[in-house]
Amino acid sequence: MAKIIVVTSGKGGVGKTTSAAAISTGLALRGKKTVVIDFDVGLRNLDLIMGCERRVVYDLVNVIQGEAGLNQALIRDKRVENLFILPASQTRDKDALTQEGVAEILEKLKEDFDYILCDSPAGIERGAQLAMYFADEAIVVTNPEVSSVRDSDRILGLLASKTRRAEQGEDPIKEHLLVTRYNPERVTSGDMLTLDDIREILAINLLGLIPESEAVLRASNQGVPVTHDIASDAGQAYSDTVSRLLGEDMPLRFHEMQRKSLLSRMFGGGRR
Amino acid sequence: MSLNVDSAAVAFTFKGGMLPMTVMELSSADPERIRQQLAGKLSQSPAFFQHTPVVLSVEKLDEPHLALERICAVCRDHKLLPVAVRGGAEPVRQSAWALGLGWFPPVEEGRPRVLESVNSSPMQEVSREEAPISDVDTQALATRLYRGTVRSGQQVSASEGDLVVIGAVNAGAEVLAAGSIHVYGALRGRALAGIHGNTQAGIYCRELEAELLSVAGNYKRSEDIDAQLLGRPTEVHFTKEQLEIKPLG
Repeated sequence: MAKIIVVTSGKGGVGKTTSAAAISTGLALRGKKTVVIDFDVGLRNLDLIMGCERRVVYDLVNVIQGEAGLNQALIRDKRVENLFILPASQTRDKDALTQEGVAEILEKLKEDFDYILCDSPAGIERGAQLAMYFADEAIVVTNPEVSSVRDSDRILGLLASKTRRAEQGEDPIKEHLLVTRYNPERVTSGDMLTLDDIREILAINLLGLIPESEAVLRASNQGVPVTHDIASDAGQAYSDTVSRLLGEDMPLRFHEMQRKSLLSRMFGGGRR
Repeated sequence: MSLNVDSAAVAFTFKGGMLPMTVMELSSADPERIRQQLAGKLSQSPAFFQHTPVVLSVEKLDEPHLALERICAVCRDHKLLPVAVRGGAEPVRQSAWALGLGWFPPVEEGRPRVLESVNSSPMQEVSREEAPISDVDTQALATRLYRGTVRSGQQVSASEGDLVVIGAVNAGAEVLAAGSIHVYGALRGRALAGIHGNTQAGIYCRELEAELLSVAGNYKRSEDIDAQLLGRPTEVHFTKEQLEIKPLG
């Protein structure tokens, strides 16, 4: 049975789309058949990050409105087998999305895929709520700054109340924290919140920590998800994140100033 | 899909409840004096007089016979709805029942007394016995327990009694209670205790980082709080007409 995972944050610009692209690529590289859906109708970006913007013919809204079949709209990734992209529409707005339409598409995708990643738009409006509504798990992307942490806190409240699992009284959505743009030097100098501060406030399991890295900007501009840049710190951090998502125990890296301290404390013994 | 509860089997169920109730403590039995004072109050805070149910307490009056009907009429004229009478002698109780009002025994030394048996003759002297029920027991029933983090944008309230949060109250969240608020974690959001006017209510937390603290409408904002208290276990009370925040213990 396919798992539906929403990548969300509340705040914009924290790295949702970068993370959705990197994690879906990582899952596909491990042999999982994965599709990543851009829910940011009107401000589509995922196709750029995935480097497939010149192959978009049909999009999510076309499928919902019956103007195209699902298979016509799915774009096969050129670099990894098993990876597909369902782009958002750039010309419509978020009102074109309907809950029934989204439900129907997800039901069909569940038959073929192992993982369905929903790249949420920023905010807490319709687009964001639809992206999270059917999710089984959520990756909450947070930057080490107070406004991002507060918005993530708000999103966690919505995940626990405004989703299908919450409304039907099923097991709650499994929540994961992904801290991005973490800069240990600036944390030490007090410019950024520490990892412990963020974990204490949000009180959910840490899935991964992505250091602030030039590799991310380079990857975005080239349209190659950063997971492919295995020499880079961010690429390795996303790879670790995917491993943890698949249930492996991985030590936490890149959270301290000295790169040498790889034998830092093991991940996994944290708070709930 | 909503749950289908079989409601056809019973017409109603009895449930115990602690409802917020305004007690109107009479110090005069003169309907005209009551009318004058009510008229003054009505112009001050018209929002309060919205067919608000009140219990007329006549414990402080030492008059066996009251013009209960006229007092009730005055109340209704000012949009107060008398629902019961507390205290008073036997004739008061009889006239309350005759008016369709409930009757509560007087509260002495903070302890309710047991209502004597309805079968006992009204003309006889009946010795009342102390009830083993204290106010604390009944309030405990209305306590609301919340486990987990109260997150930004969420509101958790206990409209009748105390609120206990086992977890943190994050910035942007709001917790409210008719009674006291206990937070076994960090209090980073807004906490409003005694929302129905109970000035005895308090706020207790393991780590004070609150945006706003209020007891019975008397509030302090984050920037009014002594910085030395921040991050510490604290308690908040309304004393000497102001909010007092001090380290716990």
